Amino acid sequence: MQKRHRELLELLDKSGASLYTLLTRLTLREETAEELMQELFIKLSNSRGFKKCISRDAYARKTAINLAFDWRRKFRQELQLNPEVCKPVSIDSSPLSKLIQTEELEEVLDAIGQLNKSWRQALVMRYIQQLSYDDIAEQMEKTPHHVRALCSKALNRLRDTLGTNQKNTTEKEI
Amino acid sequence: MSEKEEQQIRYRLKVLSQIEPSSEGLERTKERVRDTLSNTKERPKNNHAGIRQVFCNIQTIKIAAAAVLLIGLGFITGRLFVPAVDIEELQAALEPAIRQQLQEQLSEQWQRTYANSLTQIKNELAQQLSRDLAEFAEQALAASSTMTDQRIKELVQLIEAARAKDRQWIAAALEKIEFNRRQDNTRLGNGLVALATRTNDLRRIEEN
Repeated sequence: MQKRHRELLELLDKSGASLYTLLTRLTLREETAEELMQELFIKLSNSRGFKKCISRDAYARKTAINLAFDWRRKFRQELQLNPEVCKPVSIDSSPLSKLIQTEELEEVLDAIGQLNKSWRQALVMRYIQQLSYDDIAEQMEKTPHHVRALCSKALNRLRDTLGTNQKNTTEKEI
Repeated sequence: MSEKEEQQIRYRLKVLSQIEPSSEGLERTKERVRDTLSNTKERPKNNHAGIRQVFCNIQTIKIAAAAVLLIGLGFITGRLFVPAVDIEELQAALEPAIRQQLQEQLSEQWQRTYANSLTQIKNELAQQLSRDLAEFAEQALAASSTMTDQRIKELVQLIEAARAKDRQWIAAALEKIEFNRRQDNTRLGNGLVALATRTNDLRRIEEN
């Protein structure tokens, strides 16, 4: 128990900032990222996979991505019931452009949430965390070539999803 | 799917990758996570306490079971050693007392029911009376209002009749005055004619 605690504290010192940044980027809300960070470390402290895994950092990152997208799914349902939930972080100064951009980012993140886990993980690491294919391959225990293929497939699926969404929106407006 | 759309997606992903949280938020979160982990670390002690609690509960349960067994044993022994009871004698002894008690209870119940009914009837009568009074007052008010209307109508008719009579008298008086005026005019005209004739006669006599 002591050992696990020490490992978790080390992980917090080493990767806390990047995990928190990742959660903020995926939720677009700092207070939510804070809550999810708590949840992440509680989950890791009770997880058997964390003890067995080779790279603790990669395992934590993967869990954080899953947590964030689980939260997004719940949040979307909550948003349908109550549209006045918490507001996202500010990205731009102009209110209108901020609103549009936030809406677009939410749309992209929702579309990413619909991808399967490995595609989603690869896409997030590559395009949101800006990691190199080699780093991603190391963390996902795959070859760089495989990671490249995953990213490409994920991006194609994302285009299809967003294209369909846009088409539906336009039809509704007409 | 066009290249433009792909560029748009890449742009949005780039924007996402540029979002940076505040350093205060990061520090606060780290602190909270550290606190949470410390609390989680302290939990096993509580687990031991929980186990001790369970053991204590088992001992309590054992003591309770022994007590129940002893009580049961005492009850059965008592039942076995008590002499047999004469049922008829017991019935004869108990019957008058039970009868008396039952009569008292029944009488009390009847009295209570009677009192309740009386109160209820009183209330209903009072309500009925107040309703009737209100209705009567309403009817009396309506009748008096009708009578007042009738009297006012009659008074108006009388006033109208008196005014019509007055107008007739005034018209008759005016006609009389007019008639007298015409008669006076005629007389004056005749007088003047007679005076002129006499004046002419007198002038002629003087000239002659």
